Amino acid sequence: MTDRVAGGQGRHVGPARGWAGPLGHAVHIVAALAGLLIVIQSLIVVQARPQDLVTGIHGMADILRRAMPPDFTQLDKELWPALETVDIAIFGTLAGVMMALPLAVLAAANVTPSRPLYYAARGIIGFTRAVPDLVWALFFVTAVGLGPFPGGLALAVHSIGMLGRLFAETIEHMDMAPIDALALTGARRLQIFTHGVVPSVLPALLGIGLYRLDENIRASLVLGFVGAGGIGFQLLTAMNLFQYREVSLLLIVIFVIVLIAERLSAMLREKLA
Amino acid sequence: MLEVRGLSLRYPNGKQALTDFSLAVAAGELVIVLGGNGSGKTTLLRCIARALVPGAGTIRVNGTDLTRLAGDRLRRARLELAMISQQAALVRRRSVLANVASGALGRHGGIWTTLGGLPNAELAAAHLHLDEVGLAPLAAQRAGTLSGGQAQRVAIARALAQRPRVLLADEPVASLDPEAAEDIMRLLRRLAAEENLAVLCVLHQVELAYAYADRVVGIRDGSVAFDLPRADLSREAVRQLYLSEAA
Repeated sequence: MTDRVAGGQGRHVGPARGWAGPLGHAVHIVAALAGLLIVIQSLIVVQARPQDLVTGIHGMADILRRAMPPDFTQLDKELWPALETVDIAIFGTLAGVMMALPLAVLAAANVTPSRPLYYAARGIIGFTRAVPDLVWALFFVTAVGLGPFPGGLALAVHSIGMLGRLFAETIEHMDMAPIDALALTGARRLQIFTHGVVPSVLPALLGIGLYRLDENIRASLVLGFVGAGGIGFQLLTAMNLFQYREVSLLLIVIFVIVLIAERLSAMLREKLA
Repeated sequence: MLEVRGLSLRYPNGKQALTDFSLAVAAGELVIVLGGNGSGKTTLLRCIARALVPGAGTIRVNGTDLTRLAGDRLRRARLELAMISQQAALVRRRSVLANVASGALGRHGGIWTTLGGLPNAELAAAHLHLDEVGLAPLAAQRAGTLSGGQAQRVAIARALAQRPRVLLADEPVASLDPEAAEDIMRLLRRLAAEENLAVLCVLHQVELAYAYADRVVGIRDGSVAFDLPRADLSREAVRQLYLSEAA
């Protein structure tokens, strides 16, 4: 297919996009069948049995009945683990930001000082992101023992990957004109970074950091399941002991934490925009 | 002050952008470069600023050949030579004053400027430079809030903060309305005279060249087509310059 001239105005338009005619219909049908096959195989692999939901409704209703009303007498006991959960997320996010920032600079193609450092930084970012935070938590529980510290470490290391990638992309997409202009004034490399790169991308990086904090608060809720501190440990214990009224209280506390974190994060990000 | 001799540059794609290009700009002189699209005007300026590495030739600023320098020696030599471009290229989220003062960073190597600070003396000087371009009242404003003309004036003030001997201006009025364009050209004219700057300015607007240049250099296919005092520049020479582009 070659370029066509539109409307006799001499304006070139690109080659026709997509498929036309009977061949196009055949391609659409094959694509639709392929999509259907993907959905069917996923239903088979997850052994989806909707009828079990119907037969299991009595069990669910029983748990709900036993969970009501929430046991608010336990509230003061849950406040410390709740604070621990939030602090695990704050520690994990701050440590993650501090480690992700230099890595992101090395991993941003437009500002990296050298190609080998670029690939090394990309490798670290990719690896820390690929391993789930729960696996990192198991690893650190083994290394430093039970408690909130391994939880914080797990979130920090996983955050390096998540933040590093987003930070690097933000730096790569920034306007390079002011950076080039500073370079031509005779400014040094680090000065260009602190006077040009940092002020240009800082609000976006803070926004990403706040979003990560919001995500980390959710993540820290379940880290307790593997002994990494926080309210997740209380939740697991209450469930194992069939204390469903305490479970429902914990779910309310979790809901409030998530809601507040989400609103605060959104509010601050809006201010930074 | 600025002396370019036999400058040649070929891009990696094989295009010969500059061929044996020579020109000189004396202190206090405003030289305007005219030429069609793709004739090599911007390449010439970027080459002189050593943002591009020429294949042959010399670029002397106050006697120092920039083509022989690299690394920190080149960085220090660049202090003598400021460049403004079509986009003002300001850091939008910093104040106007900080943007201007950042032009002086090359002269300061301490920890304070490395951490993002600006010396008080340079901030005070930046105020004076802003006053010089008529924007002192906007010092505290964020650079991102300025109009095109104001931003270009701030870019000029930043260039002045560098305390250069040579000012390169790459189509500084291309995105401005005619009134703002005249303003900027008047400012460049005044700076050349009062600050004793050698100003080399690339333009598309022939009328502005007639109004403000001391000398006009025509560039065609990366070579000098003419180099004449403004008074000797004929309309025919300019017509021929742009005709060659149309052909």
